[in-house]
Amino acid sequence: MDNAITLVELNRLIGRLVVVPDTQNVWVTAELSDVSSRGGHCYMELLQKDPDNGTILAKARAVIWANVYARIAFRFREVTGQQFETGIKVMLRVSASFHPVFGFSLVVSDVNPEFTMGDLLRRRQEILRRLQQEGVLEMNRSLQWPCVVQRIAVISAAGAAGYGDFINQLYGNHAQLKFKVKLFQAVVQGERAVPTILDALQQIAADEDNWDCVVIIRGGGATSDLAAFENYDLAANIAQFPLPVVIGIGHERDVTVLDYVANKRVKTPTAAAEWIISKGVEALEKLRNIGAEILQSVTDRLAGSKEQLSYIEALLPTIPHSLCEKALLRLQNNVTILAQVGARSISSQQVKLEHVAQLISTTNNVTLRQQRDRLDAMERMLDALSPEATLRRGYSITRVNGKVVTSVEEIKPGMTIETTLSDGVITSKHD
Amino acid sequence: MTQPKKFTPVGKLTYTQAVEELESILRMMQGDGCDVDQLVAYTRRASELLRECRARLTATDEELRTIMADLNNAK
Repeated sequence: MDNAITLVELNRLIGRLVVVPDTQNVWVTAELSDVSSRGGHCYMELLQKDPDNGTILAKARAVIWANVYARIAFRFREVTGQQFETGIKVMLRVSASFHPVFGFSLVVSDVNPEFTMGDLLRRRQEILRRLQQEGVLEMNRSLQWPCVVQRIAVISAAGAAGYGDFINQLYGNHAQLKFKVKLFQAVVQGERAVPTILDALQQIAADEDNWDCVVIIRGGGATSDLAAFENYDLAANIAQFPLPVVIGIGHERDVTVLDYVANKRVKTPTAAAEWIISKGVEALEKLRNIGAEILQSVTDRLAGSKEQLSYIEALLPTIPHSLCEKALLRLQNNVTILAQVGARSISSQQVKLEHVAQLISTTNNVTLRQQRDRLDAMERMLDALSPEATLRRGYSITRVNGKVVTSVEEIKPGMTIETTLSDGVITSKHD
Repeated sequence: MTQPKKFTPVGKLTYTQAVEELESILRMMQGDGCDVDQLVAYTRRASELLRECRARLTATDEELRTIMADLNNAK
């Protein structure tokens, strides 16, 4: 037992075994945990977790000495937009060390911020892909805004500069727009951000009819700590939230997954207020336009009606006269037409009559001539048969006492005999 | 001649309904759907709706003072 060594000697021995070229300036990837800062130095635990179930597979203490930390932290912030913070994945250059009192730790000499950035982007892409597959990615973004946005549910930290900026901007608007704002308190950075924001969202959703939109704004300040917002649950909740969500948690560069799912993304709380004011100003402008157009329409209609009246008024005295003239003209037309029609009809009848007359006269002439000829023939016959003709041929008629005598026997002496010759009568006595 | 319809009291309309009614009055006036007899009634209605909409959007000076005072007290 005489060969026992002291603890210091053992720790130094371990130290010599640990601090070998192979464990110096090694680039290692790990997740940060229990990050804290004391006296300018940064202390943390590095973890490696099982990607499937999250069990810790490896763990090591690490430190960034103040002289290195200032430089590293600045560059890290510049590239990634966030601070060294629990939960993020990092690639660090470390050297193993073993202190007799404090034991094993890794001393960080450099950091590769691009790795963290890449990891964040990978995580964000994963979340977005998942939301896309679930068909909810565009839901909040495609929500229609109401005509006016006046009832605003704000999720922020109480007393934070950002919230104050928002309220001042909103209530100081020059258009004197009216707003109703209620603050739903939440932690807007770090690990507690997700559960507190989810809780606030739930409270608002339970009362959704009383709000026009949700505005999530950060407390403000220059530094960013947005890793907590790269969260599936929060993104999914906002994507499916029934009211339009305005996100104002980061600056220009600090995009988070929430900016992809929220209806509206603004850079600052002030910008969020300005945007809401602009909606109200638009609504006022629309009212002004409608008012002006209605006024114009009324004026036009009245002017039109007046014009119509004066037109009718001017027309009124001349109407009876022109009506009479028209009637007269119509009458004259009718007369002319009537005359024409009458003439046409009469002349056709006349032609017909003339034709008939002609026909009649022709027929008459023929008949008359025929009759005359017949009469002439009869006359001639009659003439030939007449006693006068016989007398002319030398015959005579003897009458006694007016009676025609045809026999000598009938005549007695002393009787007066009348003898008719062709040209006269002889009276004689029979002896 | 059609009689103007009975108007819903403006207070019972939502802002959106009020604006929609304003727009329909405007369309009617710009078209030929409104004769001079109704013009007065519809113009009065339009101005009532406009006043109500503006009142809902904007705060009076007095209201503003109250709000600002509340905000200052909260600080």
